[in-house]
Amino acid sequence: MKKKLKAPYVISTVFLVLALIFFIAPIFLAVITSFKSPMEIAESILALPKSLNLDNYADGMKKSDFLRSLRNSATITFPSVFLIVLFSSMGGYSIARNSHWSKLIRSMDSLYLASLMIPFQILMIPVYKIFKNLGLQNNLMGMILMLTGYSIAYATYLYVGFVKSVPREIEEAALIDGCGPLQMFFRIVFPLLKPITATVAALHVMWLWNDFQISIILLQRDKVRTLTVKQFYFFGQYTAEYGMAFAASIVAMIPVVLVFILLQKYIVAGISAGAVKT
Amino acid sequence: MKKRRGHVTATKLAAYLFLLPGFLFFCFSILIPFFMGIHIAFTDWNGINYDYNYVGFQNFIGMFKDQRIAQPIRNSLVFALIGVVAGTVFSLGMALLANSREAKAGKFVRTVFFIPVCFSAVLTAFIWKFIYKEVFFNAFGIKSPLGNPDWVIPAIILMGLWNSSGINMLIYYSGLKNIPTDLYEAAMIDGASTMQKFRTITLPLLTPAFSVCVTLTLTSYLREFAMTLSATEGGPGGASRTLAIYVYENLYKFSKAGYGQAVALVFALFCILLGNAVSRFFRKREVEM
Repeated sequence: MKKKLKAPYVISTVFLVLALIFFIAPIFLAVITSFKSPMEIAESILALPKSLNLDNYADGMKKSDFLRSLRNSATITFPSVFLIVLFSSMGGYSIARNSHWSKLIRSMDSLYLASLMIPFQILMIPVYKIFKNLGLQNNLMGMILMLTGYSIAYATYLYVGFVKSVPREIEEAALIDGCGPLQMFFRIVFPLLKPITATVAALHVMWLWNDFQISIILLQRDKVRTLTVKQFYFFGQYTAEYGMAFAASIVAMIPVVLVFILLQKYIVAGISAGAVKT
Repeated sequence: MKKRRGHVTATKLAAYLFLLPGFLFFCFSILIPFFMGIHIAFTDWNGINYDYNYVGFQNFIGMFKDQRIAQPIRNSLVFALIGVVAGTVFSLGMALLANSREAKAGKFVRTVFFIPVCFSAVLTAFIWKFIYKEVFFNAFGIKSPLGNPDWVIPAIILMGLWNSSGINMLIYYSGLKNIPTDLYEAAMIDGASTMQKFRTITLPLLTPAFSVCVTLTLTSYLREFAMTLSATEGGPGGASRTLAIYVYENLYKFSKAGYGQAVALVFALFCILLGNAVSRFFRKREVEM
């Protein structure tokens, strides 16, 4: 019996180690390369850096205008996530509690769901046109509007599912005590939605921070480029200077990795519960 | 009585008012562009000027005469086909591996598998471009597969596996965790082999996870854009130009926004129909527990 179990275990361990290498090696390579001088890279791709040389970081951050792109990314990500959480929690609550009597609210729910099927490509050209006509191209405020609206349907859908599992008794009691709708939502219901709020916030920080397809269309000017768009052009410009390019992008990854580490529990919970889209 | 009725209307009004702000944003970003997109598809707008003409169905008819469109269609389908098969086998395999270890080791493995999900498609493309170009050449003497028309799509899919398998792995993993262990115990008593148990218990009970993951992977590869644009810009010689890149090029490169929008509409319709068909296929096969 013991001998029989051994072979599969060994094979699966081999696969496991290979898979771990597959996932870690690229990150490891990017990190070691970011510390190497162009000379060292030319000498050997795989060798470890001779010293923890931070020149690439200083150079990369300066040449990629890192602080400005960082500010742009933060300026569009965090206000959008705040608006998404605020408005989709309100909307999700309203749909979950009122769709039984209102046909209008029911159809709004179906409209949101149907919109999740739409690939961004059919919105790309019209969105470009609207922004051009309104003069909102290369405008971070416009980008916040776009990202928030683009994410509302999905976030609302996540909230609807969660609110349905929250018992109504507390709200009924509050109603008897003479609680108004706004007070009811912000003082009583919203605190109960904390787990799903964490999931929605974590997923959207990750998605919006890394957004490329909307930003590349609306943020063409250098002044407003986010980290992801900047990376796209920066790598194109400095294809030969790997060390510097990787240094700049590793720094750009830090905020998302931090969010991931801090909120990992909620991201995993959200995805396991079916909270995924593309 | 009067007061009570006033209260009910206020509650109803509040229900609508709560939905309103989110809905306005939704209209701005999705609903209005969607209908405007249908409108643009019937014009010859070039993406630059303010004025344009209606051209009726000319853009849609034009697709049949377009010499350039066959390659992106073929590429997107190849992406979807290889991507779905490779993605499913790979993420299910990883979920099984993570599931076969003790709780603590399993958690570590899952975290490592998931970390690349934090990376943007752009950065993923650049890291792998570096690996293909420099590491492959220096360590194995292989030229970058991204420069080879036959290998460029599989090479990009490998990047995609690295970047996003973590999500599907988690979905399969939680599916595996939901399978009651007494089923396996009963099968063991009946003398079922590992393979038999996998085929008759694991696979059927994972159908809900398959239905989510396959639909998701399929539609995301059909829409493949950011990673490919960053890695190859559709090259070499258009060998990795996807439909999404083609739409983008019609806007920015060829100044044929109206035509690009018509292509996008047909393509979206195809994605939606295929996505629906696939999820219906799996839903029919779901087993009640």
